[in-house]
Order: sequence, then C-alpha cells, then structure tokens
Amino acid sequence: MNFGLNEEQRILRDSAHGFLAKECPGTFVREMVEDEKGYTSGLWQKMAELGWMGILFPEQYGGYEGSFLDLAVLLYEMGYVCLPGPYFSTVVHGAITLLEAGSDTQKSEILPKVASGEEILTLAWTETGGSYAAQEISLKAELQNDRYVLTGTKLFVPDAHVAGKIICVARTREPEGDYEEGVSLFIVDGENPGLTVHVHSTLAGDKQCEVEFDQVEVPAENLLGELHMGWPVLKKVLQKASVAKCAQMIGGGQRAIDLAVPYLKEREQFGRPVGSFQAVKHHCANILTLLETSKFMTFQAAWRISEGLSFEKEASMCKAWVSDSYRQLVALAHQVMGGIGFMEEHDLQLYFKQAKTSELAFGDARFHRELVAQQMGL
Amino acid sequence: MDFGFKKEEIFLIKEVRAFIREEVTPELVEETRELGAIFGGAEARKFIKKLATKGWLTPAWPKEYGGLAASEMITYMIRDEMAYAELPLYFVAAYNAGPMILRDGSEEMKKEFLPPIARGEVEFALGYTEPQAGSDLAALNIRAEDRGDHFVLNGQKTFNTHTHVADYHWLAARTCFDGPKHKGISIMIVDLKSPGITIRPLITMAGWRSNEVYYDEVIVPKKNMMGEKNRGFYYLMGALDFERMFPPSAYKKLFEEIVDYAKKTIVNGQSLSKDPLIRQRLAQMAIELEASRLLYYQLAYMLDKEMIPNYQSSMEKVFATETAQHICNTGMEVLGLYGQLKKGDKWAPFAGKMEFFYRSSVVETIYAGTSEIQRNIIAERGLGLPRG
Repeated sequence: MNFGLNEEQRILRDSAHGFLAKECPGTFVREMVEDEKGYTSGLWQKMAELGWMGILFPEQYGGYEGSFLDLAVLLYEMGYVCLPGPYFSTVVHGAITLLEAGSDTQKSEILPKVASGEEILTLAWTETGGSYAAQEISLKAELQNDRYVLTGTKLFVPDAHVAGKIICVARTREPEGDYEEGVSLFIVDGENPGLTVHVHSTLAGDKQCEVEFDQVEVPAENLLGELHMGWPVLKKVLQKASVAKCAQMIGGGQRAIDLAVPYLKEREQFGRPVGSFQAVKHHCANILTLLETSKFMTFQAAWRISEGLSFEKEASMCKAWVSDSYRQLVALAHQVMGGIGFMEEHDLQLYFKQAKTSELAFGDARFHRELVAQQMGL
Repeated sequence: MDFGFKKEEIFLIKEVRAFIREEVTPELVEETRELGAIFGGAEARKFIKKLATKGWLTPAWPKEYGGLAASEMITYMIRDEMAYAELPLYFVAAYNAGPMILRDGSEEMKKEFLPPIARGEVEFALGYTEPQAGSDLAALNIRAEDRGDHFVLNGQKTFNTHTHVADYHWLAARTCFDGPKHKGISIMIVDLKSPGITIRPLITMAGWRSNEVYYDEVIVPKKNMMGEKNRGFYYLMGALDFERMFPPSAYKKLFEEIVDYAKKTIVNGQSLSKDPLIRQRLAQMAIELEASRLLYYQLAYMLDKEMIPNYQSSMEKVFATETAQHICNTGMEVLGLYGQLKKGDKWAPFAGKMEFFYRSSVVETIYAGTSEIQRNIIAERGLGLPRG
C-alpha cells in the first residue's frame, strides 16, 4: 500500500493550490453567488489553459489523459477554495457521461471544445421526485419523424443556465416492472427554443436549475449511448461523480480545519488559548478523524477507478461516509470557532453550506448505505 | 497511491491463512476468549511456537534476533489475519517490550531476550498501571532502590492483566524519588517467579482475569534494567507511537455472523435484513470497518517509510475500538431478546458470542490509553493545539 501522492500529482496539487488561492478568494465566491452566470469567463479560460477541463480526456479529444486520481487531486483543491462555476457540471456530470456512452463522433465534436473552454456541459437527471432513483424518471422522449421530442421537467440541474449542451435523462419506454429499463440519454443544445431555464434559489448560492422541456426536438443522432439502455451508464456516472464530489468535499474539510485551528491557538479566554481546553480539543480530534478517514475512503475509491478495478461498493461507502463526515466536521468547526464563524464575512459559513449541498448531490449517506447494503447481499 | 497489496504480500498471507486453518483448534479460540486475548495460555503457547518457527511472530525484526527483516506491512497483515481468525492475541514481549529493547536496550539484553521472544517461548506482562497512576502514568511510585548491582523493589501494581500467565514483568518503577515525576522512572525486566511477588486476581465483568501485583523486597539484577536509568518515561512515550495497533478484523467475524443472522432470521414474514433500518445500520458498520482498515494499514505504510505515526496510531485506536462497540451495539439490536443469552443456553445465537462481546468490548475504549487520552494526543500532536 502507498498512501502518498506521486510526484506529478504533488506538482498538480501545489500549482492548483497556488493558482486558486490567488484567483478564488472568499470575496470571489460571494460575488459569484450574486452573479447571474456564477462564473467569469476570464478565470474559466485560465483554467482551460492550465489543461484542467481536459484532464480526463484522451489526447485525440484535446485532453491530457490524466487519471481519475489526478482529477480527484484537482477537485480537492477546488473544494478547498469553494470554487464556484460550472467546472464540476462540465467535466464530471457532462464529460464523464459522454466518455462513458458517447460515440466517437459525439466525443470528437464536443470534448475538444470542452477542453479548450468553449463548451459548458451539464446533466439533467433529477425530477420532481427529488431523487436519483430510476422510478423518478418520467420526462418523456418520443420518436416523431426521425426526431425525438422531449417533454417534462428537470430540477436541480447544475449550471443549466449557462450550459451549451445539456445531457438529458429521459424515458423512452414505459416501464414494465423494471424502472431501470427504457431510460435513454440525449444531447440537447442549450439554445433549443423548447427549453425554459430557471435558476433555483439555494442554500449555498450555487446555480442549480429548473429546466422545463416543452416539445424539445432533438435529432435522432443526438441519442447518447443505446436506446433504452441509459440506466447502466447513469449508474456508473453516479458512482464516479460521487467519488469526484467527495474529493471536493475533503478539500473543503481541510479548509475548515485550516480556518479553525490557527484561531484556536490564538484566541484566549480565561487567560489561556481556547484550543488548550479539553472539550475543544476533543471536538478537534473528532474533526481530524472525520477528515482523515474521509480522505482515505475517497482516495481509495478514486484509485480503484483509476486502476480499472471494480469500484461500486467502495464508491458508495465513500459517499456515505464523506457525506456524514463533512457535515459533522464543519458543524464541529463552527462549534469551536464560536460566534465569529457564524458571521457572513467569515469563510467558514461557505463550507457549512457547501457541505450540505454536496451531501445531497448524487445521493446522501442514506441513499448510498442502501447501495452498500445491496452490495453486501442484504 | 496504491491501496492494494503487493503480490508477495498476498502470497504470504495466503500461506498464513492456510497455516491458521490447519493449526487453530476450538480450544485455542476458547482459551483466547477466556483470557481476554492475552498471550500466555497453554494452547496459545503451543500454537505461537509453531507460528514463530516461520518467523511470523516478529517478521519485521532483524534476522540476527529471530526476525525475517520483512516489512511492517507484513507484520500488520499477519496480525489482522490472526484477529480475523478470532485470535486477536495481544503480545507484550513481541510487540511492546521487544521493539523497545530493539531500539533502546543494550546488546547484551537484546541477545538474551529477543531470540526467545521471537521464538514465542517467553511472554512478558505490562507492569505500568498503579492504583494512583492510570492515565497519568508518570504518577507511578513503586520504589526501586539502587543497591549497586541490583534493585530492591517495594510497592503495588494493578490491572496488570498478563501477570498470571506471563514469564516476566515489563515493569516501570520509580528509581529517583525527588525532582520531576517523569524524570525518575526506569524500565526493568522482572522474573515473575522472583521471591516477594504476590499476584492477586481481579475478575473483570468480561469474566477474564486481571491482577494486582504486590512487590515486597523483590531483588532485580541491574542488568535487567532496559536502557538508561530514569529515562523510562521517555521510552514509554516513544513506544506509544509504534505499538498501538488494533487489528480492525478483531470484530469482523462477529460482524459477519450478525449479518448472516439478519439474513436468515424471519420477522413478520420477511428477513430482518430487509428492514430498511437494519440495512442502514449494517451498511454503516461495513463502512466503519473499511475506514478502520485504512487507518490501520496507514500505520504500516508510515512505519515502512520511516515516518513516525504519533497521532495516527491514537486515531486508529480510537476508531477501531469505537467501531468495535458500534458493532456490538448493532448486533444486540439485531438479535433483540436473544442477544442477552449466554454461552451454554440452548437458545443462544452463535453460542453466546454476542452477549460476551457486548460485555467485554466495554474495556476497548479504556485500556491502553482511554479514548479521551487518545483524543488529547490527536489534538495536540495532530493539530498542534496547546497542552492544557
């Protein structure tokens, strides 16, 4: 076993850390909450130039052929600064789905543009049922004269308001018992006149959208993967995206510690540093334990994906554990920071909000524990 | 990063597994449980002597002292494999005293004690705790008076669990009676058959035995002192970084039996494992065991890289032992009324094991440094928070 990053990953981490510390201070995160788009093209282009958009893609699609572990290292640093914007929706939701299911033509057409920063992607999955389960998919896609017509409503779609391409999860056949059958994926142009996008008002101020599909016509060649066979693709995407989300979460967890601990060494009450009180220390010990276990679970799952090993169980264990742990550790960080951490101007609150949003994305702890239970044969 | 094991490690562990399958008897498992997993009983001595001939008791030790000069990873894997086979044996000589002698003992002491330890022929008992010195170990005051070529010892130890089955006492005694408490302690090896030693049983709620040990004018030759005089506390503190290892699989077999029980038990026409709440609880335990496993092997990774796992070993101890208690609580919940049935009752599920572990696991978060002491270490060494 080797719990350390390799040389290239350390370089990637350090350069990303330095870059993001400069480009994405807490003030920027707050500005982007207010901003209509939620990102700036300036920063987006710089990230593209660093090769971050194409980190996972094969070279033929303008990528850098990095591993999933490399992506995890990058997402960790993005989580550390609470980076706003459509990176996750583009590279994880969108590109991973394309990489899993896309034809060579589809990939050649879209991925190079993603790599160069010209294209933003997202994945429209959840609906009014508010869950990632197959039985919740009811948005209909019907074949009419060589074109699919999509009708229905998607909720919680990240960054759909700026996406050039939306991958839409649709039902192409009424379920006969098994809801996982008859689900298909379509690439929908963000400019399609049948789309109405409305940005939800959310806890963390990230841009999740309601997307209404009203008779949205899509050419038949925009079917992504095989007809009716979208669900197995989505299952994989869910697990990979969960691990990617966890990588972001542990970065945020590390930041919560870095915000709290120096303060606890300086702040004095009763004539001694607050951090010297045992009640505070024990909270901190729990914070560190939650973080380190979360790191190991995440990197193990990311490593398995990178190595081409089975990862379903590890990914779900990881998302279940990290979802609970990140929320708990930020809450504990608030507890030890006292009133100052509750102030809007303090960055800790950003992480409190990020923790809940991330916990809910791609299934919370309960959702993934159920998947683990299934893996255990329960 | 690499979260897999090397080919040669997997190969070796298969060999170990086969050996265990061949050699472990129900009597050995029973004895291990009755003694609270301490090493020293007749069955365990027989088994360990055989295991030690392969070098598997102390694989990381240098060859000249009976080891294989293998990695710590191998050591950790073997111990976890044994724990999974319901032999979570705790070795004081091989895992506490031995490594300290290796680091800080004289050449003479190494030659005298290490080879028989590596062969599994002798066992030590930890002699640290006293009535007034539990978590605050520096407060110990069993007196060792220097009489030139020997010490004369008077005083009392308590909760010294191994002493009735071990050969030697690995004793922390006071050799300097003024000045700072932690600067007057020395470590010495005492033959437990020495005249003047009285061992009195203390029976625990787990049914196994611990002991009080009384020293009355006990003579200990000076050559039995380990390292330098009055440096004992530093040796002990240093050793804590290296020797806290709690194999995560010690409760794994119990957990598997609980899972199996949940699958097979029908309540209200469906198997218990179909109950959403039970599924959640069991999945959570599997997740905690996995996190525990990673914390455990991180220690081996660090040691092999010559990094010192100071707060990490505390973290592993807290996490593994709390997971053990969570498993026991979950098991009791799954078994319901049946959980309370003891070994010998014809209705007891898995021969009363659940009831036993529920009771015995209470001490997990207390012995070898309570969870509270470990959390202090994690906060102070892991995060640099000031001492209170």
